[in-house]
Amino acid sequence: MSGTHLIETVINGLISGSIYALIGSGLALIYGTTRVLNFAHGELLMLAGYFILLFAVTLGWPVILAAIATIVLVMVLGALLQRVTIAPLMKREDWAFSVIAATIGLSIFLQSGAQLIWGEQYQGVPYFFHGVAVIGEVRMPWQRIAILVVALGVMGICGLILYRTKLGRIVRATAQDAEAALAVGIPAGRVHTIVFAISAGLAGTGAILLSPLITVNPWMGVSYLLKGFAVVILGGLGSFGGAVAAGFLLGLIESVSVAFVPSEWSNVIAFAFLIAVITARPEGLFAGRGA
Amino acid sequence: MLEVFGGHPYRAILVWTLMLLVVPFLPLDDYVLHILTLFLIFAVFATGWNLTLGILGLKTLGHHAFFAIGAYASALVSHYFGISPWITIWLGAIIAAIAGIVIGFPILRIRSMPHVAIVTLAFAEIVRLVLSNLKEITRGELGFWGIPPFDPISIGGTTIQFGLGNAFGSFAVAAVMFVGVHLLLLMLLKSRSGLTFLAIRDGEAAAESLGVKLAAWKLFAFGVSAAIVGLSGAVYAHYVLILTPSSVAGPDMLISLLAMIIVGGVGRFFGPIYGALLLTVSSELLRDFGDYRMLLYGALIVVFVFVAPTGIAGLKPASWRKPRESASQPAEAT
Repeated sequence: MSGTHLIETVINGLISGSIYALIGSGLALIYGTTRVLNFAHGELLMLAGYFILLFAVTLGWPVILAAIATIVLVMVLGALLQRVTIAPLMKREDWAFSVIAATIGLSIFLQSGAQLIWGEQYQGVPYFFHGVAVIGEVRMPWQRIAILVVALGVMGICGLILYRTKLGRIVRATAQDAEAALAVGIPAGRVHTIVFAISAGLAGTGAILLSPLITVNPWMGVSYLLKGFAVVILGGLGSFGGAVAAGFLLGLIESVSVAFVPSEWSNVIAFAFLIAVITARPEGLFAGRGA
Repeated sequence: MLEVFGGHPYRAILVWTLMLLVVPFLPLDDYVLHILTLFLIFAVFATGWNLTLGILGLKTLGHHAFFAIGAYASALVSHYFGISPWITIWLGAIIAAIAGIVIGFPILRIRSMPHVAIVTLAFAEIVRLVLSNLKEITRGELGFWGIPPFDPISIGGTTIQFGLGNAFGSFAVAAVMFVGVHLLLLMLLKSRSGLTFLAIRDGEAAAESLGVKLAAWKLFAFGVSAAIVGLSGAVYAHYVLILTPSSVAGPDMLISLLAMIIVGGVGRFFGPIYGALLLTVSSELLRDFGDYRMLLYGALIVVFVFVAPTGIAGLKPASWRKPRESASQPAEAT
């Protein structure tokens, strides 16, 4: 592998890793605060894809405006999802499996619903950023670089909120012990709704960044969901920072593995790595600070 | 605890057997027999999965992988080595069981349900990708065809043919598998092993403290469950005669089976049978509205989780359930 090729491999790994990190850190935030696995998370991503398509392409709004509208809308949907389906189920004794089953059902329902409404065709969103950055021998389209930069920025803001604000302290306190948080006057139910909204916003950001590259279709969330879960587990029991690190690691593993095996095997390697990690270190690679 | 089996489980199996024996004498066309055959195969699949999901209480989400392993193993061996499907279906079941035990090992180390769900889901994804990537052997997503049907058998003067176009033979194979698997499994679960499974589900630590070897029992349950699912996959392969990785190990299979188990009743012995019957028949009725099938399955899962978490099997007679439940209460308190 030449030097240029190596640098491109690493950058590509970081770019796909930043998407995994966006999706995985949202799932980790939910998992960390509520112990819920949200199988409908991929469909929030898919719906955000259709929203950006509607605002930016069909209605022709400026990209920034379309992006903000998409993120706000998908955050509302995330909050609604938590209020309507997950919160009532959490009151049950066997909620852990009920929530998994209900969100799986919801996920396939939204996929087939999207297929009925928007059809099976794959719809493209034009690049938001044009041109190719050339640094020495390395060539990289600005759109791909923007993915990395925007994802890092958004996750940085989330990290600041979580670790430097009162809201963040409340979220982390709920994650550590929901009952104790309730005892000191934190409305745990509302915190859970907020966490779902933030997580949906992260997925929405991912969808906006991805949509020009992979085209919008009813199934676009499916493959990212399992990757997102892998990130949650590798990152260690719902740790936000751990999930971000694990997302980049997963992206790098995939892009490096493509250099050694045909690309259709890269997911096999990623998932085998996941199972190996769970066997050896069930608490994850970056276990430590909670949420 | 006893509500798992319902009132008279052996009598229920006898009733199913008699109903299945009557079917060939009814004036049914081949299409109806075809749907009933699919129902029987999926009922065995769902029962096998329910063993870990409901009866042992390990929330595994990757059993469609064992279905695919059983189906492909039996299909490939019979195709490439010319061995009779009557032998290779058992090979399929054994290979699925081995895969089940292998994936059981990482799961033994995990007590958190979400981790179990994700590991098994990742395993199923690996199986699907491997089957679709090994194009020289499986032809990938183009589909593996040329799977031999079961060899004809002669009983007395009559010869029974199998495979597509011979609806009766295939129905008979599926029916024998259905009755055999459910009878043997019921005998296993009614014995000490069954009580051990339920004890593990209801209180792992308590069971362990009473000398139950958790690891061995869980691996055993995984092996049995995967073998049953693998067998149903193998019979499916020699019935439909074409396999694609995404049709047997894809998300649609996961959703369909999960819907059958949840609609029928998670952890109820006969639940998955009702679920399989209801969903196989209703999805055939909706055949003309192909796109609505998954919409229906998704909606059914959500509705049942909210409204009837114990499924159809749990809705049944309140008259005998009440006294039984109150009778079992003091036993649980000890």
